Amino acid sequence: MDYAIQQVLNALSFGAEYALLALGLAIVFSIMGLVNFAHGEIIAAGGYSMFAITSLLTGNPFVVIVGALLVAVLASVLLERVAFRPVRYADASTGLLTAFGVSMILQNLFLLLVSPRPIAITNLYFLNWPIEVAGVQISTLQVFETVTTAIAICLLVVFLKKSSFGIAMRAASLDFEMVRLMGIRANRVVAVAFAVSGLLAGLACIFIMARRGSVDPTFGFNPVLKAFVACVLGGFGSLPGAVLGGFLLGAIEVGMLVLLPQSYGGMKEAFVFGIVALILVWRPDGILSPAVEKGDKL
Amino acid sequence: MSLSAYISRDQRSGLVGSLLLSCLLIAVGLLVVYFGQRYQLRIVYAAYVNLLVVLGLQVFMGNANITNLSHSAFMGIGAYVAAICVTPVKIKAISLPQAPWGLNAFALDPWVSAFIAIAITALLAWLVGLIITRLSGIGATIVSLALLVIVHSIFLHRTDIFKGKQAFFGIPQVFDINSILIISVCAIFVARAFRESHWGIQLRASADDEVGARSMGVNVYRVRLIAWVLGSVFLAVAGISYAYFLGTISARPFYFTHVFLTVAMLILGGMRTVTGAVLGTLLISFGLEGVRYLETGPELLGIKLPELLGLSGIMLGVVIVVTMAFRSSGITGNTEIEQLFNRWRR
Repeated sequence: MDYAIQQVLNALSFGAEYALLALGLAIVFSIMGLVNFAHGEIIAAGGYSMFAITSLLTGNPFVVIVGALLVAVLASVLLERVAFRPVRYADASTGLLTAFGVSMILQNLFLLLVSPRPIAITNLYFLNWPIEVAGVQISTLQVFETVTTAIAICLLVVFLKKSSFGIAMRAASLDFEMVRLMGIRANRVVAVAFAVSGLLAGLACIFIMARRGSVDPTFGFNPVLKAFVACVLGGFGSLPGAVLGGFLLGAIEVGMLVLLPQSYGGMKEAFVFGIVALILVWRPDGILSPAVEKGDKL
Repeated sequence: MSLSAYISRDQRSGLVGSLLLSCLLIAVGLLVVYFGQRYQLRIVYAAYVNLLVVLGLQVFMGNANITNLSHSAFMGIGAYVAAICVTPVKIKAISLPQAPWGLNAFALDPWVSAFIAIAITALLAWLVGLIITRLSGIGATIVSLALLVIVHSIFLHRTDIFKGKQAFFGIPQVFDINSILIISVCAIFVARAFRESHWGIQLRASADDEVGARSMGVNVYRVRLIAWVLGSVFLAVAGISYAYFLGTISARPFYFTHVFLTVAMLILGGMRTVTGAVLGTLLISFGLEGVRYLETGPELLGIKLPELLGLSGIMLGVVIVVTMAFRSSGITGNTEIEQLFNRWRR
């Protein structure tokens, strides 16, 4: 029983991390059709900013956390302004390849300007200590992660349903032209979308950092790849789909960890992606894919 | 002309274009054979191997307009299968003592090995293609990325077959610059012929307007699958050429760095044309040599430059972003080389 609860919590915390990142990708995609490959570098930027703040200003973990969140938001908005605005109205593959290029540039800049080797940042370890609840050993980090994600999703839902910006963003995901005709600035809607996406990436960055304790140039790649897979699984561009995909992926991953014998540990990814591929055979556009109109809508 | 009864005007024009591109490739090849030094020969060989990869990418990615990021994995599969088949038993007894299924107990002729490698790569590509071709554009890209990670993790994990991070050595070095020249010329003709074939035309139509193409009776999944498998054959040949020239392979060259490099080549040149694939490969291959020189921190005009690790990656990224921002269809756009000449003549 202990073991089962432990694994469920594992699945929830993995899933929470993927859901945070997948939501960030889905928000940007739903509004401007951009597959943001540079999302991982925003996480890495957050990680490096932790290192910068710790070594230049203070090691106070709350300052570090707030600083990393700010840097992630700023980096995300800045990327939109500099790199993605010229391709905003281009087709999906142009945006995708631009983001791909941006990701390459940032990764190599980290490598060139900071270091190709991992840099240790240990002042977030305090988030992670074992506690006993009703006789079951659990880690606080997993609880924090799951709870934070739940709160973030609730706040996001309130933001999207109640605030005028949120409503504009939801409308923009249906018909951007119409939203602009209603007198809402396209630039603002897109900037807010990127800011929200950056904030979610920053949150994920804190938890990944508390678990791993070091940052390197390809730091963000693996989590974001998983988030992409979660998005595809849930249906690209659908926000509930992103959350569902994230948690489902977490569950599949933990399931594989439990079921696979130790000697196959290195092949975990292969099995996880294999199962995802099978789900995609069943629903090629993802589980909660919005009904797409493929014909011309001029 | 009796030939025109069999091939269309575009196909004839394609033959002329392929011929022109082949002349370019052979000219570069002859230059380096007669005037180049040993290291330059290796650079040109590597450029031509990458040309095979980029052509293989163009066949699927260019014609179907679906970004594929798994190509280096298929190149790796081709290289490893050929290497396992062709390496002499004595060497395999040392390097793969624990290989399962008697993989270290036989050795085949290089040609047979190459054939087996191509067949296995194409078979795997067909199986994967059944899924990938049915996904929407972005889904297909993400799944192809996942595929790259899967294949790489298998290469790393099954050290008893692939030796993981260590080098797989002892492959007979049967290829030289002449072999790669012949292969790349053939590859250009095949890639161009596919582009102008009725499958290629159907695929390009489905890339421009999927619903429209479908309503005209194009079986979109089928033509995508054909292009996907044909592309994988190019990639397998590239992998085999790589292994047969160097004699040693490892899992590392078949991963992200190579994916970035080849995608940048195709995008810069223009993915819709075979000319673009050739142009992009040559430009980036030779341009990068200059950047690599700067990367090592040389002395220029008496000034000692610092070591700039990662500069080549930044340059590739800049090439992609700038191309996408200012000319998203690449240098050539939609124009093949012979069409360019025709325009000049008029």
